[in-house]
Amino acid sequence: MADSDKVRLRLPSTIKAGDVVQVRALVLHPMERVERDAQGRIIQKNYNYVNKVIVTYLGKTILSFDTSQGVAENPFFSFTFRATAPGPLKVEFLDTSGGRFERTVDIKFS
Amino acid sequence: MSGMTDESQMTRRAALGALGALGVAAAGGFVMGAPATARAQVLGLNESVQETMKRLFGDRPIKDGEALVKVDFPPIAENGSVVPISVTVDSPMTPASYVKNIYIVADKNRIPFVTRVTLAPEAGRAFMGANIRLGETGDLRAIAEQSDGTLLMVKREVKVTVGGCGG
Repeated sequence: MADSDKVRLRLPSTIKAGDVVQVRALVLHPMERVERDAQGRIIQKNYNYVNKVIVTYLGKTILSFDTSQGVAENPFFSFTFRATAPGPLKVEFLDTSGGRFERTVDIKFS
Repeated sequence: MSGMTDESQMTRRAALGALGALGVAAAGGFVMGAPATARAQVLGLNESVQETMKRLFGDRPIKDGEALVKVDFPPIAENGSVVPISVTVDSPMTPASYVKNIYIVADKNRIPFVTRVTLAPEAGRAFMGANIRLGETGDLRAIAEQSDGTLLMVKREVKVTVGGCGG
């Protein structure tokens, strides 16, 4: 998938069925800050920042983040999911300029 | 558009021009970030924290969440550009009772809304972590919305040595 090399996911090395697993996800993204003119007014333009993160497990959206520019550059998120069955876990990042970054890992039990 | 002699050619050009304009308008609506149209700007607005709270929760009562909401906010953030935070809410996370949303609001940020996490019971635990930005020293709030609509809030002051919101 395009731009998937910008996304990093970290999961525990072993996952057992039924575990609540913590995932750490990072995307390389500038998260442009609001710029202001001399009077302190916001300059209206398209600021490019990630405004949505969607986590899908076994085809169902289990979690999403709606974010503003109050999230740091190269945003890092962590979340949990309950590993009920082997299958794909997908993390998708969408930005305000139409960019889409995603990575999928196959959850396997050991 | 000079030198047009033929009526049909004119129509064709006009039609093409209109199509082009439509394309631009569509792209503009998506990309330009005009508050009314862009999906992006709906939650994060430049406003006071009171306005943010009002917009997000209206007049709904917000209870003290100290018993259930555990926040991990640093008391001192040396660099406001990257402030690691996490929030865990004590919840069974079953379809009958789970935490629907966790909001993070920074009182002193010029755009107080930071993030809203929407959870399903499959998340297993009402937990979120993120690296956020803080402009200056002030309260940071975590508000959890349970599936029955109860709102629980916890506030902590975070001291910021170097602000991170720029401009």
